[in-house]
Amino acid sequence: MEENKSFDWSTDLKEVPVREWEDRFTWVEEPYVSPDGETIASIVNVEEGVFTVCENGETWDKEYDKAWNLRPLPDGKFAACVSSDEEWTLSISGNEWENWFDFIWNLQVNQDGSSLSLAVQKDMEYGMAVNDKPWDQMYENINEMVLSDTGSSAAVVQVTSMVQADIEVFKNGIFSCAVNGKAIDKKFLNIWDISFDSAGKNVAYGVRLDRTKYSIAVNDTAWDKQFQSVWKPLFISGDESVIAPVKEGGKWMLYKDGQPFWNKRYNQIWHLVVSQKTGNIAAIASDKFGKWTIAENDVTWNMAADQMISDLVYSKDGSTLVAVLKDKGFWTLAVNQKKWNLGADKVFTPCVSSDGNIVSVVIERQGQYFLVVNNIVIPNGYDFMATPVISPDNTKILQKAVKDGVYQRLILSMDKIL
Amino acid sequence: MSNDMEIKDKPSVVKEKNTDEAVEAGLAKLTPERIKNTINQVLQKETGPRFKAYVETCMHCGLCAEACLYFLSNDRDPSYSPAGKVKQTIWEMLDKKGEVSIEFLRRAVHIAHTECNVCKRCSMYCPFGIDIAYLMLMVRRICHKLEITPLYIQDTVNSHSATMNQMWVKEDEWIDTLQWQEEDAREEFEDLRIPLDKEGADIMYSVIAPEPKFQAGLLYQAATIMHAAGISWTMPSSPGWDNSNMAMFTGDNEISGRIARAFYETAARLKVKKIVMGECGHAFRSTYDVGNRWIGWAMPPFEVVHALEFYHELLTSGRITIAEKFKKTVTLHDPCNVSRGRGLHDMAREVTNMLCESFIDMTPNREHNFCCGAGGGVINCGPPYKGERMINNKFKAEQLKATGAEVLIAPCHNCHSGLEDIVHHYDLNMEVKFLGDIIYETMEKKIYKPGD
Repeated sequence: MEENKSFDWSTDLKEVPVREWEDRFTWVEEPYVSPDGETIASIVNVEEGVFTVCENGETWDKEYDKAWNLRPLPDGKFAACVSSDEEWTLSISGNEWENWFDFIWNLQVNQDGSSLSLAVQKDMEYGMAVNDKPWDQMYENINEMVLSDTGSSAAVVQVTSMVQADIEVFKNGIFSCAVNGKAIDKKFLNIWDISFDSAGKNVAYGVRLDRTKYSIAVNDTAWDKQFQSVWKPLFISGDESVIAPVKEGGKWMLYKDGQPFWNKRYNQIWHLVVSQKTGNIAAIASDKFGKWTIAENDVTWNMAADQMISDLVYSKDGSTLVAVLKDKGFWTLAVNQKKWNLGADKVFTPCVSSDGNIVSVVIERQGQYFLVVNNIVIPNGYDFMATPVISPDNTKILQKAVKDGVYQRLILSMDKIL
Repeated sequence: MSNDMEIKDKPSVVKEKNTDEAVEAGLAKLTPERIKNTINQVLQKETGPRFKAYVETCMHCGLCAEACLYFLSNDRDPSYSPAGKVKQTIWEMLDKKGEVSIEFLRRAVHIAHTECNVCKRCSMYCPFGIDIAYLMLMVRRICHKLEITPLYIQDTVNSHSATMNQMWVKEDEWIDTLQWQEEDAREEFEDLRIPLDKEGADIMYSVIAPEPKFQAGLLYQAATIMHAAGISWTMPSSPGWDNSNMAMFTGDNEISGRIARAFYETAARLKVKKIVMGECGHAFRSTYDVGNRWIGWAMPPFEVVHALEFYHELLTSGRITIAEKFKKTVTLHDPCNVSRGRGLHDMAREVTNMLCESFIDMTPNREHNFCCGAGGGVINCGPPYKGERMINNKFKAEQLKATGAEVLIAPCHNCHSGLEDIVHHYDLNMEVKFLGDIIYETMEKKIYKPGD
């Protein structure tokens, strides 16, 4: 990421004592660390029914009746859902939005941090709010909220009222997809998995047309072709096409714009990812019952996991594809078809260098956190670690960890690790 | 069962078979062609050697009859025997190559959805182990495709499909309920939390939708137990928190799989080690056996344990200590899905004995215990069928009464609700409790510290 260039890569160690927070507050909740590693923060309970956030030992100016959903933002600030006098709003490092609601949840942040969205409820009406601006139109219910990288928002909204157990009304379709608050003039039995195009203008989503027929809809139009089931679609080729895993004849295939795209039929394919650089398409797949692998451009990896593949990510240049997987009871990674030989109780979100040469990830073994770089486990165990960052020139890695009550922002030289 | 335990003064056989508006509306829209095509599509395209083996192996010996709560509760009427139910549904569909009447389907819906708990007790009595529950679920699959599923359970599936929970619990309602219970529980432990979305917690605790909807106190109890035991745990704020799956029981396999995927992917998002489920049997069946397999996980991708396994671990490890054992005489119902389905019946007895002073087992018990009569989606078919359900559960009522226990422990939501109905209908004067109720009542309210 370009913004990593502005991070302090020259100071080897910065420390923040955090154990003393436990003496200052009734309790301290789980820590979050800013992307640049400069700040560690937790929601803290000051006294009965009084909460705030502590950042590097300094509390926010404001205190609240409740606080939850603390998240670091790309610019180094922190956001949390906060409540006073039974109303809720978003507080960004102590600065609240002007709008308050009866409830808020599902905080989403786009990649550069320019847009923050929430699902909101006021007077039992539901919608989204982006950067403190609630949708003009509110609805009876909301699910499946998404925020695009351009700041557009969308969700599945209930546009027709239904009394309890009225399956006839349900059958006629009571849901629509609302984009920036405006419901598309088309109702479906079900809508799931909304994807935006890169411009944040068009949406694609999975739909159920009746009890057994599924399809993919783009804006207000479903594909002509119907399927036994579908998973989340994705825009590709400069937003001109939509691809989606669909089930047909008992097997899963990849379709594009309503037509077969990949030839192979799978037991399962889901979690499509596309390299913006190369246009390669990959998916988590299973071609033998109970065995999981990766399909890239319709070719399966020569690797299988017997339990799960949970995450899939391309390096920026598209040269490296990383999968987080669980095999024979332990979590590990596979990079470009090669399974790492580490086994962990937990594997967190991997960090991949832009050129794909370095893959780093935090793992947990027997309650201790470790940093792993290119399949090498750095031996020092920690009480907690946040996602690492690789320097733009691949020479350093930023480790964010807590040990013995002290948060350490540590710059490690790659040549000492590899 | 001895005659003196027989419950009298209640109807002894089901005289009137009920239906409901969804079934009737669906039947009214059917054409002979659609019926035939749908039945043949399911039987020919969605079954395989397993189905063929079951259908061709059955010798019509009738040994399965003695296993069935419905047969025993209805004066041993053969039409309620498992083989009788197959004869009245699948076999005729096969014999007539799908050319069956509306009247036949009305009866088939009724049998498959309200006269069979898919409890699998009959499979233990069958000399060949034929899985008759599987055959009944196949009938339900056909009903689903013909859109003649009973109203209330279909509404539950509709809710699952739209919200990923079975009771139309809105997303804010879920989180707000957890925060409310967390706040209330701070009366007992001032620093108690229900940690939401805590990535990297060891355990994801998951429940079924009736808990936030009607039984929020169970969330309170669970939070208290977790807190006292010093567990690193979390609950998701997002859909995927509800582990129940009524679609599994209506034959809507596509929604059933979608539910299981949301459940396990939520655990993956939270990076937990293990999933602990509340006291629900069918949810365990869904996540451990059915929903996971429909989408391709041969075994659950995470270690997933039913509450009673978790309680056993807490009690035997000393993380929870009992201040004073529960005094009333208790008996224990074995939920089919975790007893016959998972073999937890002895563990359930060990937990009960660790908690209670006086335990009287019911007969039969363990994997041979009778179903509660509510499971398999039967209770979820709702009020139109409740009267019949009570008659169909008469033999279960006699079994419960024979224990003479004051308290009936039912570590499963469906069992709990169904047994409450039986207790009231047959005036059994028993209190129905979850294991969690008793743990909460008897545990020492102190926080576990290693080495204490």
